[in-house]
Amino acid sequence: MKTIVSAAAFVAASLFAIPASAANLVLYTSQPNEDAQATVDGFMAANPDIKVDWVRDGTPKIMAKLQAEIQAGNPVADVLLIADVVTLERLKEDGKLLAYKSPEAAEYDAALYDADGYYYSTKLITTGIMYNTSVAMKPASWKDLTKPEAKGLVTMPSPLASGAALIHAQTLAAVSGLGWDFYKSLAENGAIAAGGNGAVLKSVASGEKAYGMVVDYLPIREKAKGAPVEFVFPSEGVSAVTEPVGILASTKNADAARKFVDYVLSEKGQEGFLKLGYIPARNGMKLPEGFPARDTIKVLPIKAAEALKNTDQDLKTFSGIYGSN
Amino acid sequence: MQGYIKTGNSQPAWLFPFVVIIVLILSVLPLARLAMVGMTAFADGGVMTVLSEASLWSATYYTVITAILGTVISLVLGCLFAFLLTLTDIRAKGPLGFFFVLPMMIPPQVTALAWVQMSGPSSPLLKALHIAPPLGSPQPLYSVGGIALLYGVQHAPLVHLALRAGLMTLPRDGVEAARLSGASSLRVFRDIILPLSLPGIIAGAAISFVSCTGNFGIPAILGIPASIFTLPTLIFTKFSAFTSRTFGDVAVLSAIIAVISVVGLMIQDRALRGRDYRVIGLSGASAAFELGAWRLVFTSLVWAILFFMLAAPFFALVAGALVPAYGVPLTFKTMSLHAFEEILFRQAVTRSAFINSLSLASATALCLLVVTVLAAYTLTRRKDAASRIISSLIEIPYSLPGIVMAVCFILVFAAPIPILHVSLYGTIWIILIAYFSSFFAVSLKPVVSAFHQLDPALEEAARLSGAGFFRRLADIIVPLIAPAAGASVILVFLIACNELTISALLWSAGTQTLGVAIYNLDDSGSSDLASALSVLVVLMVVVLMLLLELLAKRLPKGVIPWRG
Repeated sequence: MKTIVSAAAFVAASLFAIPASAANLVLYTSQPNEDAQATVDGFMAANPDIKVDWVRDGTPKIMAKLQAEIQAGNPVADVLLIADVVTLERLKEDGKLLAYKSPEAAEYDAALYDADGYYYSTKLITTGIMYNTSVAMKPASWKDLTKPEAKGLVTMPSPLASGAALIHAQTLAAVSGLGWDFYKSLAENGAIAAGGNGAVLKSVASGEKAYGMVVDYLPIREKAKGAPVEFVFPSEGVSAVTEPVGILASTKNADAARKFVDYVLSEKGQEGFLKLGYIPARNGMKLPEGFPARDTIKVLPIKAAEALKNTDQDLKTFSGIYGSN
Repeated sequence: MQGYIKTGNSQPAWLFPFVVIIVLILSVLPLARLAMVGMTAFADGGVMTVLSEASLWSATYYTVITAILGTVISLVLGCLFAFLLTLTDIRAKGPLGFFFVLPMMIPPQVTALAWVQMSGPSSPLLKALHIAPPLGSPQPLYSVGGIALLYGVQHAPLVHLALRAGLMTLPRDGVEAARLSGASSLRVFRDIILPLSLPGIIAGAAISFVSCTGNFGIPAILGIPASIFTLPTLIFTKFSAFTSRTFGDVAVLSAIIAVISVVGLMIQDRALRGRDYRVIGLSGASAAFELGAWRLVFTSLVWAILFFMLAAPFFALVAGALVPAYGVPLTFKTMSLHAFEEILFRQAVTRSAFINSLSLASATALCLLVVTVLAAYTLTRRKDAASRIISSLIEIPYSLPGIVMAVCFILVFAAPIPILHVSLYGTIWIILIAYFSSFFAVSLKPVVSAFHQLDPALEEAARLSGAGFFRRLADIIVPLIAPAAGASVILVFLIACNELTISALLWSAGTQTLGVAIYNLDDSGSSDLASALSVLVVLMVVVLMLLLELLAKRLPKGVIPWRG
């Protein structure tokens, strides 16, 4: 009998060893792991009494997880820090976000946050062209990617896996002279679209492909570490997402969530992003190393409301050109 | 139920019903729920939308074609090793068997990652050796052939083990008689050994085929970048684009995988029927063939295969973890431990993944053991139809692909549990319950085989002296089956620790498992971190397998899969 009792005690002990979610705040983010960890570490250092658990995945996947949880009646996340404003605009319209007027907003351009306080842009992430330094043709324009020299050598993230890639496609599609025809001629030139920005970085840096459309900070950072890559801001201009932060209406930890929003908008939080190699959204901040002066970067415009309305159709158009991925 | 419990075999009245209830919860309820949602989707006409999607049919095609090719490769490798290690006098059988079974215990996404690091223009290993393919070369593994090759490597041990079990009982006198009559080795092999080992080969092929159709880690890492989707990866991507229709759609997709698995098992059943060769005579065909001059050839062949299956991918994985950035060749100057530092000391994900996987695995192994001991006791004592049905119900979740069981449990627990109003979806408990269901059969098998070896007279004597059920359990049964129980715990622990398919659908904030953490790190472009974590996991697997080796002497035969 003793054996059984001790076995039962052992089993019970191992069950209790399973951590029930003991965090005070759950963050869903699309930042790469190392960056997400650094952001959370920075926040926890500033707020030692709050423990943060975080989940990282591409924006569409994070949203899918969230939708599934909402449908199951058990949304886990408190705060979102994901690629684009369009996604948060949709959540706002569905009544899924909590309004919060952060005092830090005063330091931001009014175009960078929601007037009612539902979400705030935290940084500027542009999408341009990266190439492997061993290639002969150095691209300067988006159209260079459709040249014969780039045949079969171009890769890009899929809008189905990356929020930035969706905004990028919607931005370029609206530029006269590019448009969906540009994507078609890319596809005819053997370009592929699969996975997220990380996959593009890997593929180009390793030499599997020569050119890639990708978010700026990845290649600029890898280049600093010694990877054989270069990043260019094409002459037509670049698309941009602003990685907004927002609080979910279902949060049970509203106070901690507000503190998180304040932190990422604060000078300290923004410096953290700068150190990681992002362009901070806050006024008066420096640019990370490896970037050209801010006024030389031409950002192409996007109309958020229109983009939101056309998202499903745009995804279909894109899938139609690049297959089901 | 009267008359089932024989007088000489008094078990407590609650025991069998208790096991039945557990099986109802772990097997019947989730499968019934899947069938229900599938049928509702069918009635709504939603199923037609799914069935008319081209992606579904291409995924079905890729699932079947990669599984068939993978099975062929695993048959070739598995049979070669089984024949050489069981029937010949090749040297170092112990280490060879150990190494050959290792790929089966390593998480499939780690295998895939290691092979990707080993080949193609991105390989840090090939770069370090200055033999990397030129810029723009496609990664050859991102293809149907690549997926099939890795299926073959991952599942060859299954064929090896299935065949080996049969070869161990081959009659030695048949071979000796043939030899004395002057038959050549080839002749003996063709006319005696091969026909008698066909059941083992067929069983191995079926297990391999079913495992291939359910594999998620390999097609996820090799297939998705090339837009090759199998049914498990298609289900995963459906969840990544969640809509109101998703639950119904994945129910239908899961049903298709389940059907493919069941068809595979039925073909095996059919092929095995009428092949029941009863062999009489001395078994133990140890060293039926002396390799003689061929020994050198075969020895170098098997070690070369093991080098390419294990050592080279592992070194590639280590190289992938040591490079400072993509595309940088690995030299003593560029080498950096940054990835290991990041994984071990900075990433909260690693820590929580290790804690989650280890506690899930130990809770699964230990809780299942308690149920398993009781279930094995009652199932081996009762030899009636009811116990046979229960036994096969326990087998079903294990033989179905993990992704199907994951979908089942999402369907059961997506909504809050009635009355209690607790939602398990998104918590670690749903993963734990799905693990209970999937690994019940793994846990049961060693314990049942120990019970079969148990002499009932011992327990009978205790009973006659007035010992109650728990008394007998504690003083007689548990001590006698302890080694098998230990093996059961370690086996379940190993498998659960490395699990990816189930947790890939069920994880949430703070409940990432090791499998999920590795997959997500690679998916986000941090393949150096993914490699570093993989290296740690491989080391952990090897340590656990060595632990089983240490236990080996005290275990009944056949409990440790890679030992005779």
